[in-house]
Amino acid sequence: MKRGHTDKADVLQGTLILLILRTLAALGPMHGYGIARRIEQISRDVLQLNQGTLYPALLRMEQEGWISSRWGTSENNRKAKFYAITAAGRRQLAKETDDWRRMSSIIERFLTIDPTLAKEEA
Amino acid sequence: MSWVRVAAARLRGLFERKRLERELEDEVRFHLEMQMEDNLKAGMSPAEARYAALRSFGAVEAMKEIYRERRTVAVIETTVQDLRYAWRTLGRNPGFTATTVSVLALAIGVNTAMFAVLNAVLFRPLPYRSPEQLVMLWTEDPARNLREGRTAYWNVEQWRSQCRSFSAVAFFDSASATLTTADRAEKVSVLRASPDLFPLLGIQPLYGRVFTAEEAEQRQRVALISHRFWQSHFGGSLDAIGASIQLDGASSRIVGILPPDYLFGNEDVWEPYTMHPDWESVRRARGAGFWAVMGRLRRNVTVQQAQAEMNAIARRLDVQLPLAQRNRDIRVVPLSHHVIGPQQRRALWMLAGAIFLVFLTAAINVAGLSLARSVTRAREIAIRAALGASRTRIVRQLVAESLTLAVLAGLLGMLVAHAGIRLIVAVKPGNLARLNEVGLDLPTLGCAVAFCLLTGFLIGLTPAVTMARQDPGAAGREGGRGIAGGAATLRTRRVLVAAEFALATILLTGAGLLVRSLLSVQSVNLGFRPERVLSVSLAPPASLAPAQRAAFYTTVLKEVESIPGVESTGITSELFLSSSSTQIVIPEGDTQRVFERRQFRSDEVSTRLFNTIGTPLLRGRFFSDSDGPNSPPVAIINESMAQQMWPGRDPVGKRFKVGSVDPANPWFTVVGVVGDMRRQGLEQEPIPQMFQPIAQNPPRRAILLVRTSAADPLSIAGAVQAAVRRVDKHAPVYGVNTLENQLDVFLAERRFQTWLLIGFAVAAMLIAAIGIYGLIRYSIAMRTHEIGIRMAVGAQSGAIFRMIVGEGMKLSLTGLVLGLVGALWLGHAGSSLLFGVTPTDPLTLITVSLSLTAVGVAACCFPARRAMKVEPIVALRHE
Repeated sequence: MKRGHTDKADVLQGTLILLILRTLAALGPMHGYGIARRIEQISRDVLQLNQGTLYPALLRMEQEGWISSRWGTSENNRKAKFYAITAAGRRQLAKETDDWRRMSSIIERFLTIDPTLAKEEA
Repeated sequence: MSWVRVAAARLRGLFERKRLERELEDEVRFHLEMQMEDNLKAGMSPAEARYAALRSFGAVEAMKEIYRERRTVAVIETTVQDLRYAWRTLGRNPGFTATTVSVLALAIGVNTAMFAVLNAVLFRPLPYRSPEQLVMLWTEDPARNLREGRTAYWNVEQWRSQCRSFSAVAFFDSASATLTTADRAEKVSVLRASPDLFPLLGIQPLYGRVFTAEEAEQRQRVALISHRFWQSHFGGSLDAIGASIQLDGASSRIVGILPPDYLFGNEDVWEPYTMHPDWESVRRARGAGFWAVMGRLRRNVTVQQAQAEMNAIARRLDVQLPLAQRNRDIRVVPLSHHVIGPQQRRALWMLAGAIFLVFLTAAINVAGLSLARSVTRAREIAIRAALGASRTRIVRQLVAESLTLAVLAGLLGMLVAHAGIRLIVAVKPGNLARLNEVGLDLPTLGCAVAFCLLTGFLIGLTPAVTMARQDPGAAGREGGRGIAGGAATLRTRRVLVAAEFALATILLTGAGLLVRSLLSVQSVNLGFRPERVLSVSLAPPASLAPAQRAAFYTTVLKEVESIPGVESTGITSELFLSSSSTQIVIPEGDTQRVFERRQFRSDEVSTRLFNTIGTPLLRGRFFSDSDGPNSPPVAIINESMAQQMWPGRDPVGKRFKVGSVDPANPWFTVVGVVGDMRRQGLEQEPIPQMFQPIAQNPPRRAILLVRTSAADPLSIAGAVQAAVRRVDKHAPVYGVNTLENQLDVFLAERRFQTWLLIGFAVAAMLIAAIGIYGLIRYSIAMRTHEIGIRMAVGAQSGAIFRMIVGEGMKLSLTGLVLGLVGALWLGHAGSSLLFGVTPTDPLTLITVSLSLTAVGVAACCFPARRAMKVEPIVALRHE
């Protein structure tokens, strides 16, 4: 498991978890398909997510206690599994949002500052 | 701690596999259907919608696999899968499974039972405080074959005051005494001990107290009783404390009750050492004496250090000892080695080793079986390998199967062990001390688990390793052709079969040597004829004076002789000897020499004793009624004494003294020489012995021997007891038995060992035979094609037969030779267990070789005959 944190799939999954948490926090309990659709919509279909990868991520989040699940009835009257964010999930969301912002601002700075200039400054 | 939560969730996942699997299925289906509906709404055709849904989802099965992996602990789940699969596979082969499990269960069970005995008897510490510090201190003189000799009080006191190695030294002596109650008299065993024995052993009385040094010094008649005696005589009532018991006619007050644990030889009554009937003379004696001495080593003092110190003390004391008592060693022996002596240890180890060899043979055989089975499964395994199962996974699968077998066998083996232990405790082979402590305790269970795992690996690893080494593609091709197999497994199986034969050879040789030993022991010349002789122990009341005792014996003899069916009867002070003693014997006319102590035994016998038990008179005469208390002391000596004292001369008429040249000691005149008797057990050489007439020295206790005309001497036991009661109703009559039964006890241990080893050897031989039979059959099956071709091109069926049997013989002979080497090597180590036969006994070795060869040939013959009947055309079609 430890090894997993350093490889690429997990970095992607980290992002995926942030997206899921954000979605659930904003829209309340949803089923897996709904989450997938929502992420695609928000990203205006740019982020073409392999929908299948959603489920292992949901499982892990549930095991971590960030989300809870229960079986309910979907909008078209079908049995579906609904996921809802928990208090721990909200804390995780806040943490990951912070991390992401910090990280993206660092990346942003790297991208805006001319690296040759930075070298001379040093 | 998020990983705890995750781990907990995953563990839960293990138990809800079915439900979770269904839910995953539902969830995925729901997702795909929703997507399809949306796609349809977007205007796709149903087929297009479905395809697009699947595409946007990605690889469904791969996702499920990841999902499952994450859901539970993968290692556990695959292990569970392996075990489940193993269970199913074994269930499909009930024959193989039943055979394997029962053979292994038997092997594990018997080994566990044996370990339980070893553990209780050899390994487990004695039930005393820090038992490893306890040692026995014997006076020994190896040159004169004096071992475990007892010591005089004076010497013990000297050791005590001089030695630094021991924190305490105590001494004791066991004796027997007559206990008289209101209505009857009986024998009880008494331990006379120094009061410091109790703290030395760490024994606390259950109730009451131990006796004190003052009580001992003042010769107060106080006693402790054993737990058993307390139960049988006082019904476990606390009134026992303070009560009086009559021992040898004197009253003793009970001051305490001992705990029920194992203590020495199960004595009934413990009293102060000063209760010895001749205490004043016992106190003065120096050198050899009555006392067994026990010491507790100080912390950090080793047995070797204590031995070195005692050696020095022994030399220092020499100058204060009478000449004849000098130059003895003091031997320091750990108590555990005293309780279970070296011979018993060796015998136990031999049996344990034998059982372990049987276990190995069984395990090897099962390894061969499962190897053969794994070959027939080569196809299945090849397919699994082709589908992507890794080698580790396949090996793990095979190991899981063998572990399942082993665990099944282990569980059944527990039952076998339980039954075995109960049987051993019931049979009490060889009167082992501490046998009552044997049970299925924790170390024993641990040992059973170890055997189980060992079995699992032994039977699983061979096929697993052999299979894993194989090229799956090749196995698949071979498997496809119906002849399963690989030469690799055949080679391994050949080695296994040869090993089985080697083990069987070792066991058979051991059993053969023991049988030869047993036969030698049984045919040993006893020096007397035990058939139809009844043996009864007598104790005249302790109050009788010597002359009255003599009269008592004479009257008893007369009464018993008048019983119908009695041919002749005699009395001796002792028949079978349990300990060795030494004495100085001084022949007349040789008084200037310094005399050596030699092993020596003196007994008193009635006039017709030797006629009764059938010991031949070699020279001179038997005693007669004229050898009375007032006539000169006479003696009959045995042949050994005659040869040692007067080699090449006629001893009749010669005189000798016993003990010292002191004028107070009487001269004994030799009137007769009788043949040697084996009185110390069948396997011990007779020692020099002398006999005095009862009338001249009436013993305190005696054995009455009655030769009857009845086939069963016990049939007149009642009449004999009644006759003794008529003479004195207070004289206890006990130990009623036939001489043959008593001799049988000497044989019991050896017979038990021999039968056990025969059983093991036969089991191993059968296993080896089954092994070679299976192998040859299998090898023929593999070569049916080859045999068919050979026959088609004109090979005679006899040649085929010889070829097959030759193949089997090569294996069994290889095993035989290896086994003989092992047997000679082990036989050398165990030669002390043999009697009248050497480990290289040609008869045994030849018999073993011939019978194993015969078994090997027979086991090969059946399949070989079938091979002879192979029709070339059928064999070729077999392809």
